[in-house]
Amino acid sequence: MTPLIVATLVAASLVGIGVYGFILHPHPLRKLLAFNLIGGGVFLVFGIVARRGSAAGLPFDPVPQAMVITGIVVAFAASAIAIAIIVRLYKLEGGVDLDPALPRKSDGESTES
Amino acid sequence: MSALSSVLLWATLFAPLALLAACFVARWRTTALALQWLAPVPGLCAGVLKLTNATSSMETSALGFTWKLDAPGALLLAVAALLWIVVSAAVWRDRAPDDRFGISWLLTMTGSLGVFVAGDLVAFYLFYALVSIPAYGLFALTDDPARRRAGAIYMAFAIFGETVLLLAFAALAAFEPHGSVAIHDVMAALPTSPWRDVTIGMLVAGFGMKLGMFPFNGWMPLNYSVASIPVAAVLSGAGVKAGVIGLIRFLPGGAPLEGAGIAIAVLGCVSAFLGVAVGLTQKNPKTILAYSSISQMGVICAALGLAMRDGAFASSNLAFYGLNHLLVKASLFLSVGAIIARREPLGGLSLVIVSALALSLAGLPFTGGALAKLSVKPYLDGVWASALTTASSIGSAWLMAHFLLRLKNTPDEYAGETPAAIITYWRAIALGAILLPWLFYPAVGDVSKALEPIELWSALWPVAVGAGLALAQRGFDNRIPRIPPGDSIVIYEIVFARVSALGPALENLDTRLRHWQVTGVSFVLITLALLSAAILG
Amino acid sequence: MMELAANTPAGSLLVLAILLPVVGILLAFALGGRSAERIALGLAPLSLALAVAIATAVARAGKPVTYMIGGLQPPLGISLRADGLSATMLVAVAVIMIAAMLYARAKFGVPEGSGESRSALTFWVMVQAVWGGLAMIVLSSDLFNLYVALEVLTFAAVPLVCIEGRPEALVAALRYLIFALFGSICYLLGVALFYGAYGTMDIILLSQQVEAKPVVWVAAALMTTGLLAKTALFPLHLWLPSAHSNAPAAASAVLSGLVVKGSFFLLLRLWFYVLPALQAEDVMRILGALGSVAILGGSALALMQARLKLLIAYSTVAQIGYLFLVFPLAAGAHEWSHIGWGAGVMQILAHAFAKAAMFMSAGLLAESLGHDQIARLNGAARALPLTFLTLAISSVSLVGLPPSGGFVAKWLMLQAAVASGQWIWSAPILIGGLMAAGYAYRILTPALRHGEALLKRPAQPRREAIALALALVALGLGFTPESFYDFIEIGRPLTMGPSP
Repeated sequence: MTPLIVATLVAASLVGIGVYGFILHPHPLRKLLAFNLIGGGVFLVFGIVARRGSAAGLPFDPVPQAMVITGIVVAFAASAIAIAIIVRLYKLEGGVDLDPALPRKSDGESTES
Repeated sequence: MSALSSVLLWATLFAPLALLAACFVARWRTTALALQWLAPVPGLCAGVLKLTNATSSMETSALGFTWKLDAPGALLLAVAALLWIVVSAAVWRDRAPDDRFGISWLLTMTGSLGVFVAGDLVAFYLFYALVSIPAYGLFALTDDPARRRAGAIYMAFAIFGETVLLLAFAALAAFEPHGSVAIHDVMAALPTSPWRDVTIGMLVAGFGMKLGMFPFNGWMPLNYSVASIPVAAVLSGAGVKAGVIGLIRFLPGGAPLEGAGIAIAVLGCVSAFLGVAVGLTQKNPKTILAYSSISQMGVICAALGLAMRDGAFASSNLAFYGLNHLLVKASLFLSVGAIIARREPLGGLSLVIVSALALSLAGLPFTGGALAKLSVKPYLDGVWASALTTASSIGSAWLMAHFLLRLKNTPDEYAGETPAAIITYWRAIALGAILLPWLFYPAVGDVSKALEPIELWSALWPVAVGAGLALAQRGFDNRIPRIPPGDSIVIYEIVFARVSALGPALENLDTRLRHWQVTGVSFVLITLALLSAAILG
Repeated sequence: MMELAANTPAGSLLVLAILLPVVGILLAFALGGRSAERIALGLAPLSLALAVAIATAVARAGKPVTYMIGGLQPPLGISLRADGLSATMLVAVAVIMIAAMLYARAKFGVPEGSGESRSALTFWVMVQAVWGGLAMIVLSSDLFNLYVALEVLTFAAVPLVCIEGRPEALVAALRYLIFALFGSICYLLGVALFYGAYGTMDIILLSQQVEAKPVVWVAAALMTTGLLAKTALFPLHLWLPSAHSNAPAAASAVLSGLVVKGSFFLLLRLWFYVLPALQAEDVMRILGALGSVAILGGSALALMQARLKLLIAYSTVAQIGYLFLVFPLAAGAHEWSHIGWGAGVMQILAHAFAKAAMFMSAGLLAESLGHDQIARLNGAARALPLTFLTLAISSVSLVGLPPSGGFVAKWLMLQAAVASGQWIWSAPILIGGLMAAGYAYRILTPALRHGEALLKRPAQPRREAIALALALVALGLGFTPESFYDFIEIGRPLTMGPSP
């Protein structure tokens, strides 16, 4: 097991767990966590990719690292917006349900103001 | 000469459009609507100019479209413009301005005149849409359930016809090697198109919906029986001729096409006899006239199909047949309204005139109808064809005599729909419709032939037989099963109701699809599908 | 054709096109909410002028305008690039944005004497952020930079959905945000794989190097599905109807008309610019089939809706489907690909203008009538003639009747379908048109009938005129000159167009 293989496996597992949680967990907070897990996996992929720089004689390729940092910032911002909306919804409604109600009647009356 | 002709072509299109534009300024609206009858005047002039100078070519371009007037177009354009002038003048003399009706009227008029001068596919499609869709506003914008039903059905067929034609036109354009959309060029390329027969099929289906051809005939009786008298007159007279010019322009001539030609002829034949048969079971004169239109358009299709089989260019002769039908059918609708509005027993000169007018459709000697029969005769030779032609003449005469006998059943409400000027002058209009074709016939053939005794006899006896049958029908009329107006439409409505009933199930399905887990699974499946398609492909 | 040029003369315009909205946002924050409106409206004409200047430069040069940020060449540097397609999009974005801003003044304006409001500040900042994000998407030539642009667009669009703070709007926004995040993270994974395989993110460099191998396919599949989710292609449309129908009208116009086109634009970039040599026929067919399902499903659902805004939102689902027919119809380098490409671009433009006009009209209608129930529209056309004229004209384009952009799009699509022998695609195109006619009929005919519509608020002719202007643009697209189709081919690799 070289470090490369370990890193690859970890990245794959993170993405896999994330996708699983994202699809199956109904709660938005968990979905958000799942998103961050997938993000972690993807950033790890960038890290693995950075090793190809060594072929060019550099100790590592700096470009993916810059991208990872950007990606982290973006993911952070995304999480912040999502949390803000979730908190707001909890204050207004006391809960969140992301799925549309089955016999969809609410749409008809809800915004008739 | 060419300068004058381009100006007239331009004016044909832009006169109605200018009035339409004026309708959007509140101050001018009333005047613009009152002056509608002036809008078709350039079209009339253009048509007459073309007919008197047959050799001159009338072609111009504007807005990136080609405008072109040929002999068949000119025949129909001149008479359609005349009809629009007469009816518009009468309607807007005593009608309180109604914006919705007025704008629909102008739009329909623009389309009705425009189809005859459109020289390329896109322009033709545009005006064809204009003559079909705004007509909805002429009769269906009410709360009356019968009118709403007729309107919805009319609209469905109009849009469906447009759709089929769009595909047909796209196929025509796609196989034109130089990227031209001029009708002349695409028609030249059609015989070598790999999808020739499919294209022809779609063209016939598309225009057939406008013509009320079997099995798309159901909308027509519904439409004409609810439309007011002047509206029924312009729609049955001028509106439907958009389909006639369409078939004339877009069915290939020049090389024999046996299979397609015979298929069209058979369809036409079925329509011709179906129209008569169902029409005979009807009581309302307007409905009977609608079925007569279905039958007459069937005759045109049959003649066109036979011409196609032989590779002949039938255009002017068929246009003349259409011209006669345009005049006669419109005048018949106007006469129905005028006769009921006058509330006096039909007799004497009036009876002679309305009978001659009605039987003109069956080819009564000395009427325009005799000329019309003569003009399509060359395509209807052969044992079968001439037997069917005779049968069709008898059928038409029967149906029209039935119409005359049913005139007394005209519902009273039609009286109020008839403009005062039409009530006053209906006999003049009817006489004009009987005689005007004689003026135009020299464009297609020799008038004197129609007066030969043998022709007179062969035109007269089917009419007499038909009239006799109609009189005989009175004896057993009550035992004839009544077919609801629109016949096959009932079946379409059932199918439509069944399909609509799927709605709630579909909405449930959508709600489920939008559930998170379902969407997540769809997401994964789509990714896998794309991946496997890419790797295996 | 594809060699990497240095900065072309007009290159710096591209930077300005992205920077202007950003400057506007920063100024709005610095000067406070009361001036946000003035800043946004003041900068908007400049952005439009820039877009026109860029389009002119591309047209005049006959080749793309490029700019290397910081003078660094790719693969290390990031380049901006305006080709025919992006210049067209830039102009369309500018026109619709300006219309939406003018339209929104009535709702989010801050008149003299009133205090600043949070929703006004949010609106003017976010609408500029959407503009900036779109500019970045159409001008970037770097896949990672495009990821950032995509996220900027999402982060700007989400607050627009829930700007009114109603619970159902917040739920809609949350669904939109979370699902969009999922889409973009998949896209990012694809980008990482591309970088791993070729060591560059630059679209041009990649297009010269890509070959058919598994890692490319995995990356392409991930990016494609991610972008499908953001474009809300049926059946991945879980967020669109609620998000678009709950946003305020000006925002809905921007979201439906432009924002979904942003991620679709990236799909075009991916398949026609990065992978033009690898357009696997089956992949194109799958995308076309998904599009067809979207057309049929979206249109059928639009027919069912009781509320006008939801109907229009589902119509967007259907119209997005049409966009995806461009994949089978413009793939490869055939004569018909040129027609198919023109059809796709025309569909983007026609839908953008018509749908923006429709949402604006629906907003005005809801404000004036106090509801947007289709069943209660009887006689409304008499009370709000301009609004219904706008709805009618936009419907003409959506249905595909001439003369309109929608007609040209369908006409070209059908020609491409016929000429390429792929007759199958003509079925969804035509059936979709029929169903569009059906839902247009549902809106328009009751409104044109007799009946008294009570206005809770008088009509607002100036705002009605803005919507009408957009609808007229959709109509005017029906008269697009032939040269436009050559223009949008500029910079597209592997084309058979007249100007290769």
